[in-house]
Amino acid sequence: MVVNVSNLSPRLRQLGLVAVLFGAIPAGLALMGGGYPFQVGITALIFVTLAVSLNLVTGTAGLLSLGHAGFFGVGAYAAALAATKLHWPFLLTLPLAGIVAAALGVIVALPTMRLISIYFAVATLGVGEMIHVSLLNWVSFTRGPMGIRSIPPIEILGLDLSGVIGGYYVAATVAALAIFAVHRLTHSYYGNALRSLREDDQCSAAMGLNPVRLKIEAFAVSCAIAGMAGAVYAHTASFISPDSFRFEESILILAMIVVGGLGSLPGAVIGAVLLIVLPEVLRGIGDFRMIAVGVFMFLSILFLPKGLLGEASAIGLARRQLGAAWRGDIGAGWK
Amino acid sequence: MMADVLLEITALSRAFGGLRAVDDVTAEIRQGELVGLIGPNGAGKTTLFNLISGFTPPSSGSVVFRGQNLAGMKPHQVSRLGMARTFQNLRIFPNMTVFDNVSVGAIGALGYGLGQGLFGGAKRAGEISARAWSALERVGLANLAGELAANLSYGKRKYLEIARALATDPVLLILDEPAAGLNDTETAELAHFIKSLHADGGTILLVEHDMGLVMSICQRVMVLASGAKIADAAPKVVQADPAVLEAYLGIDEEEDA
Repeated sequence: MVVNVSNLSPRLRQLGLVAVLFGAIPAGLALMGGGYPFQVGITALIFVTLAVSLNLVTGTAGLLSLGHAGFFGVGAYAAALAATKLHWPFLLTLPLAGIVAAALGVIVALPTMRLISIYFAVATLGVGEMIHVSLLNWVSFTRGPMGIRSIPPIEILGLDLSGVIGGYYVAATVAALAIFAVHRLTHSYYGNALRSLREDDQCSAAMGLNPVRLKIEAFAVSCAIAGMAGAVYAHTASFISPDSFRFEESILILAMIVVGGLGSLPGAVIGAVLLIVLPEVLRGIGDFRMIAVGVFMFLSILFLPKGLLGEASAIGLARRQLGAAWRGDIGAGWK
Repeated sequence: MMADVLLEITALSRAFGGLRAVDDVTAEIRQGELVGLIGPNGAGKTTLFNLISGFTPPSSGSVVFRGQNLAGMKPHQVSRLGMARTFQNLRIFPNMTVFDNVSVGAIGALGYGLGQGLFGGAKRAGEISARAWSALERVGLANLAGELAANLSYGKRKYLEIARALATDPVLLILDEPAAGLNDTETAELAHFIKSLHADGGTILLVEHDMGLVMSICQRVMVLASGAKIADAAPKVVQADPAVLEAYLGIDEEEDA
């Protein structure tokens, strides 16, 4: 018998989530034999954080962003450089990563938010590539393809969290905070304002909402969270290189929220866990596992147009955005 | 007399290429009026509407609303001054509930920022919710508040759109062809509803293609043809105006035949 989660009170659900995240899952991972399962757990939590942040901007506000891994990378490099060159502790590199990524997000958003959605998607694709290429070629600052090594492990106020279990708890805390923040935003009237942009932003404007400002805000918050996920990644992996922040990762994050369901927070979490854990679970079938993951994604789009729990269909969103561009009724890319 | 002029349109023109969609229109709407704006298809009604609500910038002329010149204002700024509109081709937020649709009007008018979303903002949330509920009750959709807007019937969506506009607590409500696609019974109900809004003290501009609706409820009717205003008087006077008969009624009868 499955417990209907939606019938539980919000506080009970929060407690349940915390208990699962900080108690049941680490216990289960420990039973599976420690090290590697915990590493998968950390990766899953980092991607949960990323998916949750992308869900705010793409799922709720309806802005298709194809460069999210770029902001993840900017956060990771900001944290790694501050930690290795300036010897900043994690408690400082974490907010730094968020601020740097958010600032870059605002710089990107200012000129592009007036673009019709599909052009915005292309612009973010370009920005993601630009970030990757910059990380790769700005050798004097980022060490280029050699990456940054020996990023100090996490230590918070004298508490040594350098091991995988410590890393897990840090990643879980950041993911929980991201979920909490995005939950608050999307379940408030602010969330309704963002959802109305996804549905029809001209109409939102007629109701007195400032679409450009709202989009920039949502994008900045989303980038900040992605940047902080980058800090967690840099400190737990201790080595980062530009290869972890390519277009493929952006698409992976997008796939997570599409499978989970656009606009749904539990959907983003489930989507991220599925797409990280599934390939690990399927290791037994060797090279077929990526095909299995692909088939899984294909079937979920085919049979669940709104994903597992979504409030808007991904195909509908894409169709509207492409449609607006093709109709050309709002001018050549600008409105 | 001038004090209660709500909307003042002066020599307003908008050209698209060589086409003068709105040509030197001067008009005014006073507090508490229920005014109709009619004209055959392509007369420039929707363009005039978009000029007034800030969606299209004018080529020349001015629009003054509550003493403020709207030149250069964005639609959301015009809306916050107290002008609310509905859309000709029904633009609701389909993947949101009926209540959430209406709440957007209240959010736009009252404001609800990022900080309020993150850290509470309970007081403002209460105001928004109260306003949304009262707008829903006004149009009789309160019992469907939790329903997804996409699941409403066509007729109910019209009222949803009006409720969303009412939630902004507008000083001037502009309805763009609200009767389009409604049958006679539904149109009669709508006429009754618009009259009741007006009776409550609302100032309403009704942009319509349906002559019957406009003539039966409006105090004053403006007629637009080929972008120019050709009449502006009481319904009975307008109906007898030869210029109107030629430009509009004649065409309308042929269409109906």
